[in-house]
Amino acid sequence: MLSVRIGSTIGAAAGLIVPVAPGRVPERWRTSAAADVFTGKPETTCLMFAGNQRIVLVGLGDDAEAAGACAAAQLLRCPTVAIDARGLSASQAAGLAAGACLRAWHADTLRTRTDEHAPLLATLELVSDDPATATVWASLAPGIEGNLFTRDLVTEPSNTLTPAGFINRLERLVQAGVVLETLDAAQLAALGFGGLLAVGGGSVHPPCLAVLRWAGTQGGAPVAFVGKGVTFDTGGISIKPADLMWEMRADMAGAAACAGAMLALALRRSPMPAIAVLPIAENATGAASYRPGDVLRMHNGITVQVVDTDAEGRLILADALSYAAAQKPAALIDMATLTGSIVAALGHEMAGAFDNHAGLAEAVRRAGQATGERVWRMPIGMDHRRALDSDIADVAHCVDGRGHPDACQAAAFLKDFVGDLPWVHLDIAGVESCAEASDRQAKGATGFGVRLLDRLVAERFEHHG
Amino acid sequence: MLEITFAEAALPTSGALGLLVGEGDGASGLWHAADEATGGAITRAFAAAEFTGKEGQSCTILAPGAGLTRIVAAGLGKAAELSPRRVEEASGVLAAALAREPTACIAADAFSAAHAAHAALGAVLRSYRFDLYRTKQKPEDKPRLTAVCVLTVDRAAAQAAWPALKAVADGVFITRDLVSEPANILNPPEFARRIEKLTSLGLKIETFGQAELEKLGFGSLLGVSMGSAQPPRMVVMQWQGGGDEKPVAFIGKGVTFDTGGISIKPAAGMEDMKWDMGGAGTVVGLMAALAGRRARVNAVGLVGLVENMPSGTAQRPGDVVTSYSGQTIEVLNTDAEGRLVLADVLWYAQEKFDPRWMVDLATLTGAIIVALGHEHAGLFSNDDALSDKLLAAGLATGEKLWRMPMGREYDKQLKSDIADMKNITGRPGSSITAAAFLARFVNEKPWAHLDIAGTAWATKDSAMVPKGSTAFGVRLLDRLVADHYEV
Repeated sequence: MLSVRIGSTIGAAAGLIVPVAPGRVPERWRTSAAADVFTGKPETTCLMFAGNQRIVLVGLGDDAEAAGACAAAQLLRCPTVAIDARGLSASQAAGLAAGACLRAWHADTLRTRTDEHAPLLATLELVSDDPATATVWASLAPGIEGNLFTRDLVTEPSNTLTPAGFINRLERLVQAGVVLETLDAAQLAALGFGGLLAVGGGSVHPPCLAVLRWAGTQGGAPVAFVGKGVTFDTGGISIKPADLMWEMRADMAGAAACAGAMLALALRRSPMPAIAVLPIAENATGAASYRPGDVLRMHNGITVQVVDTDAEGRLILADALSYAAAQKPAALIDMATLTGSIVAALGHEMAGAFDNHAGLAEAVRRAGQATGERVWRMPIGMDHRRALDSDIADVAHCVDGRGHPDACQAAAFLKDFVGDLPWVHLDIAGVESCAEASDRQAKGATGFGVRLLDRLVAERFEHHG
Repeated sequence: MLEITFAEAALPTSGALGLLVGEGDGASGLWHAADEATGGAITRAFAAAEFTGKEGQSCTILAPGAGLTRIVAAGLGKAAELSPRRVEEASGVLAAALAREPTACIAADAFSAAHAAHAALGAVLRSYRFDLYRTKQKPEDKPRLTAVCVLTVDRAAAQAAWPALKAVADGVFITRDLVSEPANILNPPEFARRIEKLTSLGLKIETFGQAELEKLGFGSLLGVSMGSAQPPRMVVMQWQGGGDEKPVAFIGKGVTFDTGGISIKPAAGMEDMKWDMGGAGTVVGLMAALAGRRARVNAVGLVGLVENMPSGTAQRPGDVVTSYSGQTIEVLNTDAEGRLVLADVLWYAQEKFDPRWMVDLATLTGAIIVALGHEHAGLFSNDDALSDKLLAAGLATGEKLWRMPMGREYDKQLKSDIADMKNITGRPGSSITAAAFLARFVNEKPWAHLDIAGTAWATKDSAMVPKGSTAFGVRLLDRLVADHYEV
């Protein structure tokens, strides 16, 4: 996270960002801008050098964060960058800074040699003449900090981010005032977490359940988040092809996003009580792995026939949803890198949202729209559930073979574990990482979902005044 | 097609009887009479079979007495949720259970005559068969049901409501026949000839052959057709029922067989590609339905008919074609051919007819099945109002749609290195990028694209649709027109 200083005068930063309204290039830059055919069109940039300073003109439209990100992308090698937000509203100023902070993230803790292209940007000077800027920034910064925390978790390789390693990283939340309870394998066995124990059974790193609680101040039932935390997914006995298997280190992105959201709520002292239930396991291929055809008894007593051990996410989520539902929350939102099917459906632009409650689904959609973490509502149909009928158990957990609407069927499976509670399931496979850097987005983990949940809590659940 | 008659409600004294039974209904009307006449056989059978009238339930009683050969009951669900669709579906279940009877009565006396007409529709739709190529069927394997008498509270009103519904059923059957035909019979010229027969309904029909399409400059459609020995066709059907209004337009993908072309498909399941003309089949059936019921609307239906074959003359991956719109397309995969056909037909529809809006139907992408399965077709649109009407018509007819996203971030994936656009993107979101491709041939018209790849063909029976061609979209779009666009 960049260090952000808010002031009213421009110092001698190595980089300077000048937002420009479309068609309103300031007189001073007009000649250079014309040479570069820059007109202030939103999210386009014009890079100039003046003395030892790099200056970026950036078109500012409705989306200040996008403009901030695109400008910062040009200045990543400047240790300090100033944003000239004078004359802009507090929300535009804070949005520019937010975009810059999100775009400047990079992962280099594991490098031992200097990378000559590595970003150096560490400090942002936000120059604003709107007195409300500091307040608006204070409301945005926790969500950004949570997002970046999540990205670090998603990026960390699976040999260090084991289930135990994941729990260790949650210390950051404890420092912020979140209460952490960890249930180990023995406790999970006593509680009947048949899905989580089966999925984690093949690994030398035992599974666990992290329960994070933020007390809030307004009382009442908490909002509950449930996130899939598979620290590495080999597929198990139904082992995945080798190509791109390394990407499966990110198969805990749902749990990481829920943790990031809890961090954001704690950092901004949200009045709303919240709980996150994170099932953490490694889906390894081993002598003690669970098998296709096994029947598991889940936390809520339902029996499940395993069809493909690579559809493990819904098994650990099901146990965790059942456990979370038993805490009687006001609403349940789960997040998981669950299916390839959702990528086939929606690509890398949006997450799939499945629900049993239109009002909550609409609130989630709006929060996604507002934060740029967009979701698209998808169906849970009668056929999707019927496809899971099992010959010998209450339900099968997926359909054998390829080409099925697996994302919808997975959601139909999960629905049986939430009872009557308002619930939204976000399938974030495809949006948790970004394959190539763009002006708008750094390469790698996106932290998708953190700011969406933070926003959702603020808009739908917090009582103000 | 089943012969339908209507009669005033009276208990038949011979033959088979179908009962439409609501959940928790007290015994009413003919059900009560039949139960009395059979000495309580129905009440006893319902109890034994745990039949309560729930949606989807059915119960058959053989030789119940009172001269009847068989009584079949089908559940309608809760009375408060009664709708034409529920009646149709329950009646479809009855028709399947009564198929071995030569004739049957369906008691629809517990609700209005309008609903009784829908009972007739459900029975007709479920009784569809495509037996053209069976030469050795044993008599006992053939369905015998040829006529159904629907018993109603108001015979005259039901009779008056029936012709419009029958016209829709006729349209559905035209579509199902076309889609069921194998590709060696139904090639583009034969498809066009069958459409031309619909002039008898009052449709104005114009057919374009290879030479005319070349003259127009349909480079995108013609590229797909190049590899086949069969020449392409475009057929335009016009129905003038709405005075001076601008028409509404329906456009269908009609690839009579899709091998994939040079980007050839795997052999497994390729036989399904005979129904890659399902969109065109639906447009033809829909136009027949609108004309058949003399719909008070101006409508135009356009179908692009080609066969996609690999051969020495086939188009190659990497070819660039110039579409009728003037935009150039780099064809990176010859198996993404449906959009190439639709591109030219969509543009022509707008240029020629300036329609109020357009709906296209196409068995376009496998990805829509991975996204939604077989219960919903994908709806892509640039117009929220049109989309909402389509979604509502889908719920009313049981031909359900699910809206999918569009947007700039999908469109930009179509960028080509050397032409205005390419015809494929990566697998992620590929139904959406296919729609984005089509959108480039929509010239600021309200438009919706229905990807029916998962819904055009059924691998198992459902209440109103026997296994096989579903004619998905005929009833949906007929309903859209009926509810919103008739003058």
